[in-house]
Amino acid sequence: MLLCVDSDAASREATAETLRDAGFAVAEAATAGAARERFDDDLEGLVTEQSLPDGTGLELVADVREAVPDTPCVLFTDVPIAEIDTAAFGDLVVEYVPKDAPEARSEVVDLLNHAVAFRSQTAYPLPENEDARLAALEQYAANPDDLGASFDRLTELAAELFGVKAAAVGLIDTHEQRFLACTGVSFEPMDREDTICTYAILDGDVTVIEDVLDDRRFRDNEGLQAVDIRFYASAPVETPSGEAIGTFCVYDDEPREFSARDRELLSLLGDEAMEQLTLRRRLREVADE
Amino acid sequence: MSDDRYAFERIPLDAIRPGTTVLLAGPSHAGTRELGLRLLAGRDGEGAILVTTNRRSQRIAADCERAGLRLAADNSAILDCVGGEDADVPAQVLPVSGPSDLTGIGMRYSDVHRKFARSGIDRIRTGLFSLSTLLSFGDLKTVSRFVHTLVGRIDALDGLGVLLIDPAIHDDATISTLSQFCAGRIDVREGEDGPELRARGLPSQSRKWQAFDLGWE
Repeated sequence: MLLCVDSDAASREATAETLRDAGFAVAEAATAGAARERFDDDLEGLVTEQSLPDGTGLELVADVREAVPDTPCVLFTDVPIAEIDTAAFGDLVVEYVPKDAPEARSEVVDLLNHAVAFRSQTAYPLPENEDARLAALEQYAANPDDLGASFDRLTELAAELFGVKAAAVGLIDTHEQRFLACTGVSFEPMDREDTICTYAILDGDVTVIEDVLDDRRFRDNEGLQAVDIRFYASAPVETPSGEAIGTFCVYDDEPREFSARDRELLSLLGDEAMEQLTLRRRLREVADE
Repeated sequence: MSDDRYAFERIPLDAIRPGTTVLLAGPSHAGTRELGLRLLAGRDGEGAILVTTNRRSQRIAADCERAGLRLAADNSAILDCVGGEDADVPAQVLPVSGPSDLTGIGMRYSDVHRKFARSGIDRIRTGLFSLSTLLSFGDLKTVSRFVHTLVGRIDALDGLGVLLIDPAIHDDATISTLSQFCAGRIDVREGEDGPELRARGLPSQSRKWQAFDLGWE
């Protein structure tokens, strides 16, 4: 769903109509306050006027980045660029289309088509096979409640095997990482831009971060600091056709090394997790037949 | 091969297909910056947009002239994050409050790109000099979002993008992350007889180190 925010009803309706004609589902809001109530995981994009009765478009973008960080945002506005205080919002990054530009609304459609299809405003790189990866995830993803204790056992064994504080198995969907099992730590779903696994699935192999504080990607990550993660290693949970749909991770609260044999063993655990998901998928298929 | 690719004169690189952004990685003393400017020199009718983060527009304009990149106000723009006098610069100079204002850089970039396109310039080469400065003012996550958005825009508009970075002052994970947004990478090093370049990830390019002439007085 796209969210179209503008207090000028005629302008807003014209924009929403153009977006609907292009095939998008569109919700409309006349104020920043009303727009905030529509923030949820279904949000595909935001088109907002800069001048709003109860704030500015850039303030609204800042709130979207907090709530649903991957959302592509377009400032579609009558306010001249010279009058917009971008310096105070320098870290947002938005697309910008002035309303008086020729074919302005069709440019907004083009921008959103591209940004939604290629997800080009994420703050992290996407795997080259992202579309195939998400399609595979759809087939293998399981409800944690249906997995019984098998993944809990695997993570418990992993923590013991490597002598680390915690272990987890997580799946990485379009915007979030969700966990099937955790030992020694409890994870709620995390925004993709905040998890190490987002980067690990780009490697195609075992990823080891011996000291998280030495890595610029993660050293300022408050989520990792809150659960005291200093060491990270993971193996991809990879389908037979090569899509990394998740990771088997181990964590510790102090920096450490990880031997070649450790990497092999972690890789085996990743394979075992994939095998479990494959078997459960087959069971579901048989049950459906 | 179609002839809509971006070609380069006196540089040992094959033409690059429209929509491509490359990470140009090398030390400043080996001529990386000069190579970046020369990659922006196109045929008549093309436009150029430069983002300067650490040199005044007057200075980068002088660098362009020495590199053989001809600037003109109707087809060239410099997004100046440094400030200062812009008198006598043969390009549109668009001030940005500073290298931490990535929102401002992106919006002004879109604006001037749109104006050029409106005046009939549909082939535009974009140079960012440099990512290293942006990384010294902002966190990697923000710079990543900026690069991802800029690369997407260059792709959608069939442009050519060149993003300069000095790998010696960043960790490998940073370079690797930023290179993953780009279609390819050109590495530069100081060879025994002068600067050398090597293309990676770009189709039909040689992957060997090759000497290039700076042509720099």
